[in-house]
Amino acid sequence: MAIDAHAPPPIATGPAAWLRKHFFATWYDTIFSLVFAILIYLALKAFIGWAFVDAIWRVENKDLCTHDAGACWAVIESRGRLILFGLYPYEEQWRSTLACLAVIVTIALSCLPSFWSIRRLPILWVAGFTTFVLLMRGGFAGLELVTSEQWGGLSLTIFIFSGVFVIGMPLAVLFALARRSSLPVIAKSFGFFIDIVRSLPLLTLLFAAAVVVPLLVPDWLQGNKLMRVVIAFAIFFAAYQAEIIRAGLQSTSQGQEEAAVALGMPYWSLVIDILLPQAFRNTLPSTINQAVITFKETSIVTIIGFFEVMASGNAAIGTGEWGNQYVEVYVFLALIYFVFVFGLSRYGAWLETRMRLGHA
Amino acid sequence: MKNILTSLAVAGTMALGSVTAVQAEGQGLLDTIIERDSLLCTGHNGSYLGFAEVDGQGEWQGFDIEFCKALATAILGSPDKLQIIPVSWAQRFPSIQSGDIDVIIKVTGWTMTRDTELGLQYSRPYFIGPFYVMSKTELEAEGIADLEGGVFCVNAGTTVERVLTDYMETNGIDYEPLAFEKGEELRAAFYAGRCDAIAGFGPFLSATRVNADNPDDFEILGDVLALEPEGIVVKQGEDDLLDVINWMVSALIMAEENGVTQANVDEMKANPPTASIGRLLGSTPGVGARLGLNDDWAYNVIKTVGNYGEIYDRTVGEGSRYKLPRGLNNLWNNGGLLYPLVLD
Repeated sequence: MAIDAHAPPPIATGPAAWLRKHFFATWYDTIFSLVFAILIYLALKAFIGWAFVDAIWRVENKDLCTHDAGACWAVIESRGRLILFGLYPYEEQWRSTLACLAVIVTIALSCLPSFWSIRRLPILWVAGFTTFVLLMRGGFAGLELVTSEQWGGLSLTIFIFSGVFVIGMPLAVLFALARRSSLPVIAKSFGFFIDIVRSLPLLTLLFAAAVVVPLLVPDWLQGNKLMRVVIAFAIFFAAYQAEIIRAGLQSTSQGQEEAAVALGMPYWSLVIDILLPQAFRNTLPSTINQAVITFKETSIVTIIGFFEVMASGNAAIGTGEWGNQYVEVYVFLALIYFVFVFGLSRYGAWLETRMRLGHA
Repeated sequence: MKNILTSLAVAGTMALGSVTAVQAEGQGLLDTIIERDSLLCTGHNGSYLGFAEVDGQGEWQGFDIEFCKALATAILGSPDKLQIIPVSWAQRFPSIQSGDIDVIIKVTGWTMTRDTELGLQYSRPYFIGPFYVMSKTELEAEGIADLEGGVFCVNAGTTVERVLTDYMETNGIDYEPLAFEKGEELRAAFYAGRCDAIAGFGPFLSATRVNADNPDDFEILGDVLALEPEGIVVKQGEDDLLDVINWMVSALIMAEENGVTQANVDEMKANPPTASIGRLLGSTPGVGARLGLNDDWAYNVIKTVGNYGEIYDRTVGEGSRYKLPRGLNNLWNNGGLLYPLVLD
């Protein structure tokens, strides 16, 4: 029985065909497409009208800001520096800008694979943090001393985030390895510790670190409030991240570990050269997830009186003059968070592609 | 969550009671402040409208902040020797015990638990926290009685609800209560005209008023439903510091009573009209040494922040956006509860 040869289906090209294929293929596709097109159009029109066309941009026109008018961006002109710098002294805010840039550059550099070595990364981060603290704190070479109580805004948010990440990540690796240890005492106690930390609300941990620790610990051991808070936050982060890393470690086949031991590789070489690279690659999506969550959670430090960018935003609308412009301020804050979190997500996606290539 | 924080705070504070007693035997906090040459006073994590807010330059402003400045000026001679430490409501008591702050000036009500069990000591009230009723200007109500039969909006299950019920029952005024779960809902309903009046804590009402599209549509009535006395708080046993605080508050009130203002204080000091003004401003020596301060401390305070009335007007009263009535925070001879102590 012969099979009739059919001609290949005609391939239509061009934008019209593309549209038809993706949006108007069937009658219900057409309905959905039209309904959503109208909804999107209306939403965009309303947003653009509010945010740009009817917006009031300058403080001089502040009187025009009412509920009926568009966005009152004058609030950003008037209170923007408060949002970005918090309580940092007005004349010294250039230092906060530079310090913030220093940490951002450090983060950017450490995202480059050429910096990924046991020697380079720590040097880079020590240098980055030292620059940040020296600039922010001052108190030398004619720079006015600014104590950490006055730090605030975006640079504080970024400092807390990167501090938590940089201290928390090595801790997480340590916790994860300890929990898988063959010594029951170590494995059990670290497992117990991780479970305890995870079962406490972050807010309570931070509050205890900021407020209760100084009541119970002698002066010389207290350190500075910001430092205690970053460390407590880092331990919290590490407890979660440790479980993510442990999942990655468990996903590598037992055979690789046994082969390495059979070859006589030392433990640390086994961990650094074989286990961790695979664990990180396999858990990259969850790790990026955790980083994003941590970045957003930094706003919790406002409960213990730190003026990170969210608290500064609240302070910006916390005055009779600008109390009605909270939508504008929150949109501005959302934009700041978006830039960082979206950047982080795209970097994660890029990293995944790159690692898949290396793996193949 | 608030409960967890509060119990943590109380546990920590109580655990430290014994340690505090030991420290008190050594150097007093007043000496420590003078030695440090800086006063650590409370700010806010965000803002509390009219009382502690941040301006565009990142500087703290407000009624409570003015009292911080006044205290720094009284002890150290300059409002610049003041460090405002931002603390949240839950954080203020543990922070004073751990020494992160020297005094709490943060609309803090004088309650028995705080005064006794938390190991704190209150100054005489520097602000009488009133519960008021705010109504629409168009109703032209002079007092709460004029709103008989109207719809009164309150937050459900709060002190305010109880206070309003008590007041209305006592005074035999009929009204229609309408309760809301959240402050935002309450405000929205009031702006939308669903209520003839809302009841609340004075600072909350003035914030609600100032955030309206047109604040002049609303006015706070002078009738007081109830009050909460707000004091300045120090650690138990800091008597020297508490003396300074009490006399500083008294000096601000006395200055207003005697017409001493920021503008005329120099003249008053040079030619004191009465002997007691002379003593207050240090023209006649004695006001300082007994507190361990200079004789011109009260002069410096008034020169820096003005008298009580000037502070009130500038930050929360008629001269500000908030237009909180002077009410009970007026002088005794003006229908209020404020009076100076006797300066002999």
